[in-house]
Amino acid sequence: MLDLRQLRDQLTIFEEEQSERQDRRSAQQKRARTLLRHCHEQWQAMQDAVTSAQPRRLVAKMREPPAGTRAAPERPSPVTVVATDGSQIYPDRHMEPPFFLLNVSQVAFQYGTTEEALLEATPSLHFREPLAARFDAPLDTIPTELVSALRDELELSKLLEAATTARVPERPLVALADGTLIRWMIRGMDNAILEDELIARYTECLERFRDEGLALASYVSLPASTEVVNLLRFVGGDLDVAPPSSPNEPPDAPRLDGLLDRHVLATVLGPGERSAVFGSASHIQGEYPTGTDIAFFYLKVPGPSGGELGRVEVPRWVADAPALLDRVHATVLRECRKGEGYPLALSEAHERAVVRASERDAFFRLMERRLREAGLGPTGSRKRRSKQRPRI
Amino acid sequence: MERDALGEVIEASTRQFVAEVYEEAAAPDFGTWVRVEPEGAPPLFGLVSHVETGSYDSNRQAVALGLSPEERAQEMPMVDELLRTTVRTQMLACEGPNGEIRQTLPPQPPDIHDFVALCTDEQVRALGAPFDFLRTLVEHPDSDVPVDDLLVAVLRRIYAAHGGEQGGRPPLVRAGRALSRLLDDDHERLQSILRRVL
Repeated sequence: MLDLRQLRDQLTIFEEEQSERQDRRSAQQKRARTLLRHCHEQWQAMQDAVTSAQPRRLVAKMREPPAGTRAAPERPSPVTVVATDGSQIYPDRHMEPPFFLLNVSQVAFQYGTTEEALLEATPSLHFREPLAARFDAPLDTIPTELVSALRDELELSKLLEAATTARVPERPLVALADGTLIRWMIRGMDNAILEDELIARYTECLERFRDEGLALASYVSLPASTEVVNLLRFVGGDLDVAPPSSPNEPPDAPRLDGLLDRHVLATVLGPGERSAVFGSASHIQGEYPTGTDIAFFYLKVPGPSGGELGRVEVPRWVADAPALLDRVHATVLRECRKGEGYPLALSEAHERAVVRASERDAFFRLMERRLREAGLGPTGSRKRRSKQRPRI
Repeated sequence: MERDALGEVIEASTRQFVAEVYEEAAAPDFGTWVRVEPEGAPPLFGLVSHVETGSYDSNRQAVALGLSPEERAQEMPMVDELLRTTVRTQMLACEGPNGEIRQTLPPQPPDIHDFVALCTDEQVRALGAPFDFLRTLVEHPDSDVPVDDLLVAVLRRIYAAHGGEQGGRPPLVRAGRALSRLLDDDHERLQSILRRVL
């Protein structure tokens, strides 16, 4: 139960805090813009300086002048757009026997034609996960990170399958994934061999996209990344390593702590425009095979209350081909326009993949009934049941 | 039956059932007779009293898009996939063990996923005098349906199934008489119904 009356005073303080924050942010944005301009003018020298200074923070790699912007070209029509998304039922400590479930959708739209759309999702029940054996632990204690990593992997391979199935000769195609293509979250499972294998499997799939010549991109809504800000912090001398000195020193305050890339680029980009393309400095990139490392740009998505800034990630072979980059830019922008701020194909993929609470309950009922009928006894613990339906 | 099915039962009781219409099939008109042939049970007959098109997903609503039909088909191809048409049918008759049609509610509802097809003219003619189903319709109407409009549609269907101008009038008159008795000689109401039939 939530007593709203008790929150009144706390909300007042919250409001004041937000107002201060906004003032601080405006000052930070102003300095960040100056630094970006400063960096823009001497970007190659600055990139060399970053490379040799090797700051500990992740600093975006410049491939072109960083303050550059580009308006979206016309989206090709007809064009094939494919997308996938996934959801899961994580292993439950209160369920016996242990299992987890992945539900991955595939969506393919042939825009500019009246050809039929593909909208489907395939569930898979995992109870003999070979990778889990490496954990030397029962399946019910496998970390949610592994389940998420397996889901991401399945999403990418289903995207490849959807793209190769839906593609039409001579018709451009964009394959859209949800979230990031940088598998930084795989690190942290405390199992190097398993992590390496997961990364190898993921990048193998990335390479197949390249071999098939498919324009792959992923979309991150409200990105929290700070790689461009870290570059500016380096330029402004906020980091542990100093930048080369220059005759017209940029301002050194306020510090850019807490500022995100999107806060900076939102002030630089016009509606529909994209930023320069940067290379990701994520450490895990070092383990991606050459050519599959990830680059990214920011896109100002028009929408209600000023729209938002999305981050679009592409493998390097897409970033290196201006025509593919333009296609991705134009397609993602049009998708966001049609989807009211979020790519339409991805939101349809999400709708197909999501497992609703009622469906989850129905699945558990079915599973319990099947096991009971097979004489395998009840499965849910009392704790799970009491969480499902609290009693008075 | 499967071949001429227009849809499948998705909710059922002995009083009424709801059927989802197949994407490629035309939805039956309001006031038409449909039949269900459950496996191992005699056929059931119902009257379409409500036709509805909406979203598959109760969490998602259709919204205005401001696009031409071509643009919509080309740029929002999922819209058609997310819409469905359902019909609600009032159960009014069933077949007896000897193949005779009984104008009364069936002993059991159809099964979910049973096929639903339009009744042929011959079957509509068999649902004839003394028109006992009209009593069920008038005295226990579906509260969400304007019953007089449904009666108009039913009478039109009777007229058409008997050949319209070639032979439709005598059965229509018989049905009108039955209705007149049911409406307690409320001539105004009866006139209002009959005026709209032909």
